[in-house]
Amino acid sequence: MKVSHQAIPTLAAPDEAARKAMQSLWTRPPGLIGWLCSTNHKDIGRRYIVTAFIFFGLAGLLAAAMRIQLAFPENHFLSPDLYNQFFTVHGTTMMFLFAVPIMEGIGLYLVPLMVGTRNVAFPRLNAFGYFAYLAGGLLLWGGFLVNAGADAGWFAYVPLSGPQFSPGHRVDIWADMITLTEISALVGAVEIIATVLKQRAPGMSLNRIPVFVWAEVVTAFMIIFAMPAVMVVTAYLAMDRLANVNTHFFNPAEGGDALLYQHLFWFFGHPEVYIIFLPATGFVSTIIETFSGRRIFGYTAIVLSLIATAFIGFGLWVHHMFATPLPLLGRTFFSASSMMIAIPSGIQIFCWITTLWTGRPRMQVPLLFVCGFILVFVLGGLTGVMLASVPLDLQMHDTYFVVAHFHYVLIGGAVFPLFAAFYYWFPKWTGRMLNESLGKWNVLTLFVGFNLTFFPMHILGLHGMPRRVYTYLAETGWGNLNLLATIGAGVIAVSVVLFIINVLVSLRRGAVADANPWLAPTLEWAVTSPPPAYNFYHPPSVADGQPLWHAPEQRPVVVGLSTEKREVLNTTIIDAVPEHRYELATDSIWPLLLGIVVGLTMTFVIFTAWAIPAGMFFSLVVLYAWFWRGNEPKFIVEAAKPKVEMSQPEAALAAQT
Amino acid sequence: MNTAVIDVSKLPPHVEDHTSPIWWGNTMLLFIETTMFALLVGSYFYLRMNFTNWPPVRSDVGLYQTDPDLGFATANLIVLIASCIPMYIVDRACLRLDLRVVRLGMAIMVLIGLVTIALRFFEFRGLKFRWDDNAYAAILWTILGMHLLHLITGTAENLLMAAWVWLKGLDTQHARDVRVGAVYWYWIAAIWIPLYAIVYFGPHWL
Amino acid sequence: MQSALSPAAAEAAHIYHLWRVFLCVMVAIYVLVAIVLFIAILRNRNRATDETGMELIAEPKQASERRATHVVSTLVIVTVLILFALLIADFFTGNAIYATPDPNALSIKITGHQWWWEVEYQDPQPSEVMTTANEIHVPVGKPVKLELQSTDVIHSFWVPNINGKKDLVPGHPTTTWFTGNRAGEFRGQCAEYCGEQHAHMRMVFVAQSRDAFGDWLKAQKKSAAEPRTESQRRGREVFLAAQCVMCHTIQGTNARARLGPDLTHIGSRIMIGAGEFPNTRGYLAGWISNASALKPGARMPPNQLSSDDLNALLDYLESLK
Repeated sequence: MKVSHQAIPTLAAPDEAARKAMQSLWTRPPGLIGWLCSTNHKDIGRRYIVTAFIFFGLAGLLAAAMRIQLAFPENHFLSPDLYNQFFTVHGTTMMFLFAVPIMEGIGLYLVPLMVGTRNVAFPRLNAFGYFAYLAGGLLLWGGFLVNAGADAGWFAYVPLSGPQFSPGHRVDIWADMITLTEISALVGAVEIIATVLKQRAPGMSLNRIPVFVWAEVVTAFMIIFAMPAVMVVTAYLAMDRLANVNTHFFNPAEGGDALLYQHLFWFFGHPEVYIIFLPATGFVSTIIETFSGRRIFGYTAIVLSLIATAFIGFGLWVHHMFATPLPLLGRTFFSASSMMIAIPSGIQIFCWITTLWTGRPRMQVPLLFVCGFILVFVLGGLTGVMLASVPLDLQMHDTYFVVAHFHYVLIGGAVFPLFAAFYYWFPKWTGRMLNESLGKWNVLTLFVGFNLTFFPMHILGLHGMPRRVYTYLAETGWGNLNLLATIGAGVIAVSVVLFIINVLVSLRRGAVADANPWLAPTLEWAVTSPPPAYNFYHPPSVADGQPLWHAPEQRPVVVGLSTEKREVLNTTIIDAVPEHRYELATDSIWPLLLGIVVGLTMTFVIFTAWAIPAGMFFSLVVLYAWFWRGNEPKFIVEAAKPKVEMSQPEAALAAQT
Repeated sequence: MNTAVIDVSKLPPHVEDHTSPIWWGNTMLLFIETTMFALLVGSYFYLRMNFTNWPPVRSDVGLYQTDPDLGFATANLIVLIASCIPMYIVDRACLRLDLRVVRLGMAIMVLIGLVTIALRFFEFRGLKFRWDDNAYAAILWTILGMHLLHLITGTAENLLMAAWVWLKGLDTQHARDVRVGAVYWYWIAAIWIPLYAIVYFGPHWL
Repeated sequence: MQSALSPAAAEAAHIYHLWRVFLCVMVAIYVLVAIVLFIAILRNRNRATDETGMELIAEPKQASERRATHVVSTLVIVTVLILFALLIADFFTGNAIYATPDPNALSIKITGHQWWWEVEYQDPQPSEVMTTANEIHVPVGKPVKLELQSTDVIHSFWVPNINGKKDLVPGHPTTTWFTGNRAGEFRGQCAEYCGEQHAHMRMVFVAQSRDAFGDWLKAQKKSAAEPRTESQRRGREVFLAAQCVMCHTIQGTNARARLGPDLTHIGSRIMIGAGEFPNTRGYLAGWISNASALKPGARMPPNQLSSDDLNALLDYLESLK
């Protein structure tokens, strides 16, 4: 069945005056203060995406410097101390300041649109979440720029990171930054769960929820159960290190235990990588569906695989500790579970390839990135199964083999899908298409550069090169492969630069995008590009999982939501039957102020434990103001009132055909 | 043009029960905090493997005299569990929008909260170790301390709602907020039961 | 010299064989997936660009969906079976490398320090215990038991030609075993980030015949050689008068400190600075004068000695074979 470009309609739009009124009701106040007060999920999502991408670039520059240092044996480009800060800040930034925030940020932008609602469930909390994240990033990089960059590795094992062997404040900055980014991640998770549970379009029962939304929900639950572990362990570390607190969680002389740190950290750390990976699989499912021209094959299997991955992912963590003194029986169990997790991932891959095989794939840039993802991630997944074997792991652990493995699964499994997602959703976010030819060069250079950089590292690891070494002797013979890896890193840099050029040029001169340039089936493509502040004037209803491919113009739409306050529809959890209306908060300055208070608290706690009670006190003050409704600044309240007078909006709508 | 409509104008603009997103947001927060306490308990038992005597021995008191004192702790447990009764009364009163009962009840809840916080400070004094003496003390103080943090935030939340109902009255939205706060308070009491058992009876019974 | 792919012990050999099995299986799977992916995207692709319209398969045919489900289900079952097979191979290898304790094993205690390895050959007679640093010799064919501990941070003992690595965790002393099966000189390296000079915490590992090993051990157990020339005598005096004695032991002299490596037989070591620099006069001179210049952050302070004193000291140390 051939469908022309014009035939996939967007949902009905009311008259101009009504639209303008709704727009001004949902738009933030003007100016800088208005921008800081915004509670619009699209504003906040965009902030996350841009900020996270900047951190990606910064961490990438650190990696480039590291590669230059390692290009030749006994090189003197970076001092050992600087190198150790670089690899720590690179890893910490990529994991905490780039990967998780960007997945959540894209989720916060897209999920309300995909489920057919107008904003997330707690708009002000959402705004606060971003500011907490930004505070964390500024803390880490601020410290780095004044030579107090964290230097104990991105997981900072004790006793090295403890008070005795890491004096000074480098590790304190690291530990306190984590609290801020984890608060942000938890906030995002609560938003996504509450929004998807209660605010879905009528008819969007559980089996009609887009796969990307499922991925974000499952990820959100993983965040809820995993993040507390890293907050607990960094709190223990901070307490051990603080001068007046001086606890002994990790001090073996007083009954503490260095392995407790590892258990707690990896209880978080392993789910963390699935927190990064699952949303990426959501991107892949979405893009494969659109570009194959058929619904995703194996929807139920894929959703169950996401859930299985999340559960099994919590039962893997000891595989990071196979080389430590642990009982043998324990290691065997975790070896088996680490291999088992390949099964749900494999199921997803089989379903994706089947969708492509039985569809009519269009080889446009998003799909090209997805192909890159499959080729790179599968290799990483297979080395992961190798690492699940204890004997093999005992040779490969803490070597460049592992560095190769996790870059294959993280860059393959998250960054390739991320670029695919950028090319796919850029039109929706900005109203412009990215350039297709430049995009093709983007894929090619990333694929070639990536493999050139990281494939040799498998061999280096097997030839004895451990991780986190700032240099190596010429007698090891590691020089040639390291040089090759450095050249590859240069090619990756070219790819990133091409992307940035593509973005900057396309923002000004890219082809203008209409509502649905990819002829995609999900609801975010039913509104203009970019969407209006309120997303849907008449929130849609759905009858299947690909609403825009099945005569959307015949679907009933929701009327009767207020045009004077910001209101959304709440529906039941399983079947999405309309249940009640729900008023959302207006724009507000309190989230920013709470972000500042929390950020300052986590900064001062580096120096004194008294920052905690002080911080709690000021947080309570701000929270009281936040919740005491009726005291929003006047300009916010006025901005929220629709500017255009309307007469009988319901009657006008009823009068339409 | 879409022909059919789903008219939601007759649906209630606010609800006060578990169908509200606020209720779900609160529940997610309780999942997070419960997980945190579970990890603290896990740490407690993990560290215990490093000790022959738990609590550890002190040189200046006898072997079995390093257990935490039971007096104030048990009193606090009883106060917390009993406090669920006025909380529940307020909870039901919100459904009827009964301003008088809610006002009185919230004032009582704030007072009870302050009592539990005060009792908690006496509990700390009943511990035989300072937080920096050893790993046992570290995890003990952390468990008590984290729960104290919840007593403080729970009481602060009750104070906020009490202030609102005294100064501004009771509308459906804030009735919902009081009810969600009640769920939080029930959790604060309930989570303390296993924590109390582990901290005060764990060493000799578990 | 430092590779897991060139086993010199039974344990490393088992792991290497397991590696070959896994590699074959993984390569086969990868090639298969890549081929299927290429076919999937090429066989039926829509060459239209977004201008001319696309093809929507609004309702995939029931029969082909069913067929696809059967194929995917079969693939899933095959995947499970392959993983099971790998797990079993893994289990057998694991059994092979976790040796049963052997009372006749050579027992060596290794203590990790920032950033060097303290090595102590155990013996039932305390006077026969021999301490050295950063260099391990073992006899081929005899089981060796390594007792591993750390006094500061976590390190990891790894000689890839011999066996997988084992972490040295403060508070958790542990053991690992191996049995060398061919002679050779190898390198090991700390494999857990342990601070500034983690990169330079290496060791020399020599597997030799039983006789050669016996000779080496006997020589190492002797106290330090007496100085035979005037220069060597002067060198010993320089050593005993300078700050060296604050950290180093030379058996047979009054220098008994244990903060730094034992220097009783430093003259016979293959490398210095924890497996970093060849044990030549030039490097030794540089190391003594300013260790931090060669290994920034090393705990050994610089020594300002007159060139005569330094030369004498070098003569003495070189004589300590």
